Amino acid sequence: MRIYSVDDEEKLRILRLVKDWSGEGFLSEDQRLRMEADMACGLRRTNGFLRLVLFVFTLIAAGALVGLFFLAFQPSGSRDPWFLMLVAALGCYIAAEAAVQNGGLYRYGIEEGLALLAIAFLFFGLMLGVQEQHGSESVAPVAGAVVSLLIYCRFGFRFAFVASMLFAAGTPEFWTDSRAGQHVVIALLFAAGLIAVMQTRDAHRADYIDEEYSFVEGILWLGIYITVNLHLSSPDMLLAWWSVATKSSEFSGVFYWSTYALIWCLPAAMLWRGLTRKDRIVIWVGLLTAILTLVTNKPYLGWERHPWDPMLLGIVLTGGAIAIRRWLAQGTGGVRNRFTAKRLSSRDQRLKDTLSAIAGFTTVPSGQTHNTTTFGGGSSGGGGASSDF
Amino acid sequence: MIAFIGGLGWTVRTYSEQLGDVVVLAVLTGLLAACLWYCFSRAEPRLVSDYVLYLGSLTWSIELAYLETRFHILAGQWDLYLLATACFFFLLAYRFDNRFVLSLALSTLAAWFGVKISRWPQSNDASFREYAILYSLVAGGAGVALARQGIRKHFLGTYLHVAANVLFGALLSGVFNPEDSGSCFLILLVVCGASLAYGLAFRQFAFVAYAAIYGYIGVSSMLVRGMNDSGALLSYFLVTGIAMIGLIVWIARRFGRES
Repeated sequence: MRIYSVDDEEKLRILRLVKDWSGEGFLSEDQRLRMEADMACGLRRTNGFLRLVLFVFTLIAAGALVGLFFLAFQPSGSRDPWFLMLVAALGCYIAAEAAVQNGGLYRYGIEEGLALLAIAFLFFGLMLGVQEQHGSESVAPVAGAVVSLLIYCRFGFRFAFVASMLFAAGTPEFWTDSRAGQHVVIALLFAAGLIAVMQTRDAHRADYIDEEYSFVEGILWLGIYITVNLHLSSPDMLLAWWSVATKSSEFSGVFYWSTYALIWCLPAAMLWRGLTRKDRIVIWVGLLTAILTLVTNKPYLGWERHPWDPMLLGIVLTGGAIAIRRWLAQGTGGVRNRFTAKRLSSRDQRLKDTLSAIAGFTTVPSGQTHNTTTFGGGSSGGGGASSDF
Repeated sequence: MIAFIGGLGWTVRTYSEQLGDVVVLAVLTGLLAACLWYCFSRAEPRLVSDYVLYLGSLTWSIELAYLETRFHILAGQWDLYLLATACFFFLLAYRFDNRFVLSLALSTLAAWFGVKISRWPQSNDASFREYAILYSLVAGGAGVALARQGIRKHFLGTYLHVAANVLFGALLSGVFNPEDSGSCFLILLVVCGASLAYGLAFRQFAFVAYAAIYGYIGVSSMLVRGMNDSGALLSYFLVTGIAMIGLIVWIARRFGRES
C-alpha cells in the first residue's frame, strides 16, 4: 500500500533524529557526517520553505491546466462539469503517483499539491454530480473521506488524514436530523478509528511508523474531544460564547451533561495515555484539550464570564508549568520516571524562536489616536498601541 | 502569559472606574517592578526570565496606555510614547537576549512610524508606503549593523524577516496602485534579486521563498493587468507556474537539499 519502502522511511526517520541530536550538540560534526553517509537515501527531499513554494506553484499550474481543460471541453456541452472534475481528479492522482514513482519525490511540495487537488476535484465533482439526486448527498463526503484516507495510507500526507476526518465529520448530517445523533455518530467514527490505531500501534513501538500512529492518535483524540465539546463543535453555542450561555434546547439534558462529564474525562485519559507511552503528540493534545475544558467550563455551566478569568487561567497554567518543571529538575540528574524538563531536541528551540517572532506581531498596532475614542482594548503588543484610546 | 496579560488588560478596561487610578497604577507598577526585579536580580538569563521579561514588557504597555488615556500627559504627541517604548524594549531585548521582547520592540517601532504618518493632514497610501519602506530599511539596516558589530548576531534573522516582509508588502501595494506601479515594480525586482541572492548565499531559504512568492505576485500583477481572455489568463498561469516549479526544483537540487 505504502508508496515508499520501509527501508527509506526508516532511514529518513534516523536522519531527522541525527539532525536533531547534532543541532542540540549530542553528536559531533564528524559523527553526524558518518551517520548521514550510512543512511544515504535515494528519495528527493528539500527545505521546508522551498517545499511550500513548490506546493503553491503546483496548485497554480495544475489548477490552470484543469481550467484550460474545462475551457476546451465545456463550451461544446459534450461533458458535464462533474465528469470533467472527476477526470481532473484522476489526472492529478496519476501525476502525484508518477512524481513519486519516477521522480523519487518525498515531501517535495509537488506531489502534495497534486494529491490535494485530486481530493478537492473528486469531492466537488461528486457534489455537482449528485446535487439533484435526492438521497445521495452523502456520497461526496463519504467518497472524500475514503479517498483522503487512502491517499494518507499511500503517501503519508498528514493533511490527507485531517481532510478525511473533516469529510467524515460532514457526513452524518445527511443521515440524521438530530444534532445530538450527528455528534454521537461522528464521535463513534473517530473512536472506532482510535481503537483500531491503539491496537495496531503496539507492534510498531520502535520503528518509523510509530511517529505516524502518534500523529493519527493525537488528531483522533482531538477530533473526539471537539465533537463531544458542544461549546466548540455546535455553531449556535460557539456564537453565544461571550454571552451568558444556557443549555441549548436542541440537546436533551442527559446528552448535554454527559458531554460535560466527557470533556473533563477525555483530557485526563489523553494525558494518562500520552504519559504512559511517552507520546509527545498525545501529551500535547491532552494539555490543549485540558485548557479548552477550562475555557469552556463557564459557558457549559451557564455561569457569567468575568474579565479576570483569563488572568486566572494564565496564573494556573504558568504556575502549573513552573511547578512541574521544578519537580522534574529536582529528580536525580534532572530526570524523574524517565521524564526531563531539559531540551532534548533542537526542534523545540526552533519552535520557541518562531513563537517569539509571532508573539510580538500577533497584536500589530493599529495606530489610532486617543482623541476620538476612550480607553479600551489594551491588547498590549506593540506598546499597547493596538488598543483604542 | 498572553492569557494573563489579556485578562489584565480586560480587567483594567472594565473596572478602571470602580478601582480608581491609584489602585490600577499601583497594581500595574508593582507587577512591572516585580518582573524587572526578577530579571535584573538573576545573573544569567534563564527560561523563566524570558517569559517574566515578556510579561513585564506587556504590563508596561498597558500601564502606558492607561496613563495617557487618563491623564493625557503628552496630549497630542502620544506617538512619542511608542518611540520611547520601542527604545526601552530594544534595550531590554539586548540586555536579556530575549527575542519575544525584540519582536515587541520591532512592532512598536512600526507602530510609531504608522502613527506618525496618520497625524499628517495629507497622509495617504503613498506616504504610508514610503514610511513602510523606510521602516524596513531602518530595521534591516540596524539588524545588519548590530550583527556586524558582533552584538547579538542571532537576532539578525528576526530583523531581516520583519524588514523583508514589510518591504515586500509595501512594494506590492505600490505595484497594485497604477500611479506608482512602474517605480515600485522596478524596486521590487531589485529587492527580489537581493533576497534571492542572500537566501542562496547564506542558505536562508525563507528569503528564496519571499523572492519567489512576492516576485511572482508583482510580475503577474503587471502582466495580467487588462488581460480579459480567460484562456490567455489560464495559459499564463500554467506556463509561469511550470516555469517557477522548474526554477525552484533547480534551486532545491543545487542548493536546498535538506538544508
